[in-house]
Amino acid sequence: MQLLQDILTGIANNVFSQVPILIGLIALAGLLLQRKPFETVVAGTVRAIVGVVILTLGVDIFTGGLVSFQAIVSSAFGLEPPTATSTLNDFLAGTGSAVPMIIALGFAVHLVLVRIFPAARYVYLTGHLMFWMSIVIAASLVEVFTDIPRTTLIVAGAVIIACYWTLQPLWIAPLMRRVVGHDQFGLGHTSSTVALMAGYGSRALRLGDPVKHDSEKLKLPRQISFFKDINVSTAVIITVIMLVAIAFADSGIVQEQMAGSDLLPWAWGLTQALRFAAGIAILLFGVRMFLAEIVPAFKGISDKVLPGTKPALDIPVAFPKAPTAVMIGFLSSTVVFLVVMAVFATAGWFVLVPPMIMLFFGGGAGGVFGNAVAGWRGAVFGGVVNGVLLAVGQWITWGLYGDTAPELGTLADPDWFAVGWLLIGAAHLLAPLGGVAVWVVTGAVLVVTVAVLALLGRRAARTGTSPATTAATTSATASPTAPASSTTASSTTVSPTATTPTTGGTHE
Amino acid sequence: MSERPDPLKVLAVCGLGMGTSLILRMTAESVLTRLGIAAQVDNTDLSTARSTEADVIVGQGMHMTELEGAATVIVTVDDFVDESALEARLRPALAEVGWL
Repeated sequence: MQLLQDILTGIANNVFSQVPILIGLIALAGLLLQRKPFETVVAGTVRAIVGVVILTLGVDIFTGGLVSFQAIVSSAFGLEPPTATSTLNDFLAGTGSAVPMIIALGFAVHLVLVRIFPAARYVYLTGHLMFWMSIVIAASLVEVFTDIPRTTLIVAGAVIIACYWTLQPLWIAPLMRRVVGHDQFGLGHTSSTVALMAGYGSRALRLGDPVKHDSEKLKLPRQISFFKDINVSTAVIITVIMLVAIAFADSGIVQEQMAGSDLLPWAWGLTQALRFAAGIAILLFGVRMFLAEIVPAFKGISDKVLPGTKPALDIPVAFPKAPTAVMIGFLSSTVVFLVVMAVFATAGWFVLVPPMIMLFFGGGAGGVFGNAVAGWRGAVFGGVVNGVLLAVGQWITWGLYGDTAPELGTLADPDWFAVGWLLIGAAHLLAPLGGVAVWVVTGAVLVVTVAVLALLGRRAARTGTSPATTAATTSATASPTAPASSTTASSTTVSPTATTPTTGGTHE
Repeated sequence: MSERPDPLKVLAVCGLGMGTSLILRMTAESVLTRLGIAAQVDNTDLSTARSTEADVIVGQGMHMTELEGAATVIVTVDDFVDESALEARLRPALAEVGWL
């Protein structure tokens, strides 16, 4: 008996607490389920494991760069740099090792929800965000319920993430259809909050006309196209800020960060900024490596279990319709973020870090969704909203995850903030209940999700249309300022954007 | 005109190299299977694509200007899941260089 217990404890400590091994097991299961040949199964499993190891190395480099960046920029403005007792890497190695289990169980719960409720027809397939959002939810739960048992964390986290994956493509569906012009796939992305605000906001503000002010009629200078490459724009912007900050920072602080390096401060600053950008590139490379093995498996499972459902995909699926709007959104988002950063610095507030990836994808989302409703003015508006949300979000969120993974604040999309804040807020309110509080929160999330899905389904049955069409039409008509054309646009497949020439296809 | 490489090295590209390019990779895999072409399809980001050897690159138009000359055949897509649309563009592009 004692032997059995030792073996189980050994497995728990040495296998199930290791993120790389767990991800490897998920990949292994996926490859076996797809009946891949032996060599593919071995290679794929190993690639997935190595991918996670590379990811953690990238996080390590990125985190180190982040600390020097914040210390030096703070010193340039005479501020205290933010402190934290833990880092993302610590969290992933410790309590956060539950994350792969949350993803696997959460995906199963998500498929069950989609199977039961016809109104939920989108299967969430954006793998890297499945990973990050699960970390956000796990970290939120751990921040509030400090001593949460591992099993509780896994089950509660899985149910909450499954509800998010199920609902998020639905609330963006009406606007998404307007942007891409059809309903063959949904949007599964954590910038959905920005997309919603860009779309409905620019409609409410009557910013412009999608046809008359269409962003695709504008021509942006070719010289700024290098910004599209995330590695390049991260390196350039972080380098510039770092060098300027070193010029104004206290030389003692710079020396302390340089830790005995023989380089001149500016040369050291340059290498650090480039290392920071490289850290993010390595992190992304690692994520890419394990996702390449897991996502096809998830898609295979959902195609087999749930034929006829549609995939919810990453935000760039919306980009070919309006590449200029993407650039407008990204640029306005970046400019606004840098302005807010300067304001924060002069006011003596939190030290912000420009998150170029989120400025690009969130800004691009704001641009495309704003443009679909109100032309280029809507695109600018969407970018501005993203810039402001990311800046304010970093400031608030860094402190919230001080004991788990504060970097979640600087790596975040707007939905991370929205979901994290709601969860932490709700959990704090219920904390007096003690151990049951986590189940009350989880139960509430599930009940709300089921109620929404049942309501959407009932409405669809009453009007005799497919659930998605109903969801689209009702939310379009529910918006009082909706122009008459938009109602037809979202209930049929003809939308103003569908007739716009897509510059994406003209490069052939 | 040249002999078609076997397997054909195909790269699906997007901005980050993990979301849409992965979906596009799966779409491209099934199109190439249907065309009966043995291919090794990978997905990656813009920066990596520039330094990776490939015969064919598929991706979104806004990125393809950055990748001019990075592969023999470059095909742009507007829809990442539409197999018939990709096949309609891939066929003539491959035929042009004598690979189909």
